[in-house]
Amino acid sequence: MELKKVIVIGTGTMGQGIAQWFLQQHLDVEMVDSNHDFAKKSHAKILEQLDTLASRGKLSADDVAKFKPRLNVVTLEQVDPNSDLVVEAIIEDLEVKKDLFKKLDELMSDKTIIASNTSSFPITELGKNLRDSRKPNFLGLHFFNPATIMKLVEVINGLETNKDISNEILSWFNSRGKVAVLCADAPGFIVNRVARNFYGESLRAVENYDLKLITEVDLVMREVGGFKMGPFELMDLIGIDVNLSVTESVYKAFFDEPRFKPHRLQKEMVNAQRLGRKSKKGFYLYE
Amino acid sequence: MNDNSNTLVVIDDNHPLYEVIKPHFEVRNAKDALASFDTYELIIDLTAMRTKGKIAFLKELSRTTKAEIISDLTLSWGEMVLKECPKISGALSLLFFSPTQKFEYFAKNEHTKNLIVNFLTAINKAGVEHSHLRLGFHYPRAISMIVNEAYFALGENLATKEAIDLAMKNGVNYPMGPIEWGEKIGLKYIIDLLTEYSEITQDPRYRIAQELKMTGKYI
Repeated sequence: MELKKVIVIGTGTMGQGIAQWFLQQHLDVEMVDSNHDFAKKSHAKILEQLDTLASRGKLSADDVAKFKPRLNVVTLEQVDPNSDLVVEAIIEDLEVKKDLFKKLDELMSDKTIIASNTSSFPITELGKNLRDSRKPNFLGLHFFNPATIMKLVEVINGLETNKDISNEILSWFNSRGKVAVLCADAPGFIVNRVARNFYGESLRAVENYDLKLITEVDLVMREVGGFKMGPFELMDLIGIDVNLSVTESVYKAFFDEPRFKPHRLQKEMVNAQRLGRKSKKGFYLYE
Repeated sequence: MNDNSNTLVVIDDNHPLYEVIKPHFEVRNAKDALASFDTYELIIDLTAMRTKGKIAFLKELSRTTKAEIISDLTLSWGEMVLKECPKISGALSLLFFSPTQKFEYFAKNEHTKNLIVNFLTAINKAGVEHSHLRLGFHYPRAISMIVNEAYFALGENLATKEAIDLAMKNGVNYPMGPIEWGEKIGLKYIIDLLTEYSEITQDPRYRIAQELKMTGKYI
């Protein structure tokens, strides 16, 4: 498989990271966002980031000069229909995503592979309204933040995905320094599912808000478990609301499986607007 | 035997740290420890037992010795054991492999804390204090649930063992993949801990993956 041109739709944190990573693989990249001005700002941020990497010696000035003209902002109607791959990284809203995929199905050539970076919705469900001939070319490509640094890409097969295509994509990513793994289309895929009880069990060890105990659990998980961050520190970084939302999503998708049941302390923190670092108050205080 | 000659370590020869501890301390298995009339100042019990067995063992041990007793409560309901066996002055969690070679401990007082720290230092390990022992130690319960979930995923053919381990190491920077981590700890111990928690709490979240039981040869 050879990829030459990629379209990244959604230019928030994930979309920016994904676009930049593809660019650094010497591909042509088109960026699209429903808010065109936002896409332009994201474009500028990526160019700035490339300059920073060059100034730190992480990229050569020659490469950066070659990358820059290969990154463009376009509207959805302006995308190159013959691009090899489209990666969707817009907000986690099932209906909005499904509508987008329907439009892409009409816009893009039959050979284009269309992928979603969703972290929570089933790939088969997202591709429900696609033409039958498109469904084999539709799959999940779940990147991790920051996409330029984190190596993992979960390659998710929907029920109708052509396994030859997902295997070729897998090999392509692995040949470019990513660690791509194949995964079935089940809630949370691998990481967001297996990691749930890093948080869930730690919340149950604490039960009610107790800063001393929270600090102790974090210390133990770092010092004894060897994790880079403790569960409460990490929830504060991710956003307690975001973490709760993922937990609720996995819990519901598994039809209320007790292993994924959210904990009331998470909900209590969200109700109190103690969302983590972004609100300067979470399990810890950041002021 | 040097400075440690007044300490007896009760440990079975299949314990993950048996070979590490044996060169430094007098060691006996549980049966021999109870049969002993020797006098030690400190007994460190590292037997891998669930709550009921542990309480029975510690009560009997307390009856046969005047030594201070510190016990590994990794697989037991810590709070209950401490309540039922008031002579136990501290607890350890040495049973579960730690990637950092650091281990949780609980001490009722400073004296016991020093004894535990000295013991860990003697076997070239370090400790992290757990201040208030309730259901159990933090690390074993969280890592057991993570490993269990990985086996649920495996049993459902979500991904291969290798893919699960790679995903957790490269997606969220885990120091080890959950499958290799479970193997390093010993699946039997993970099954024992989850079985114990399931019985104590009656919470279905501690249900054990069939694949974990199968791989861990739990019959």
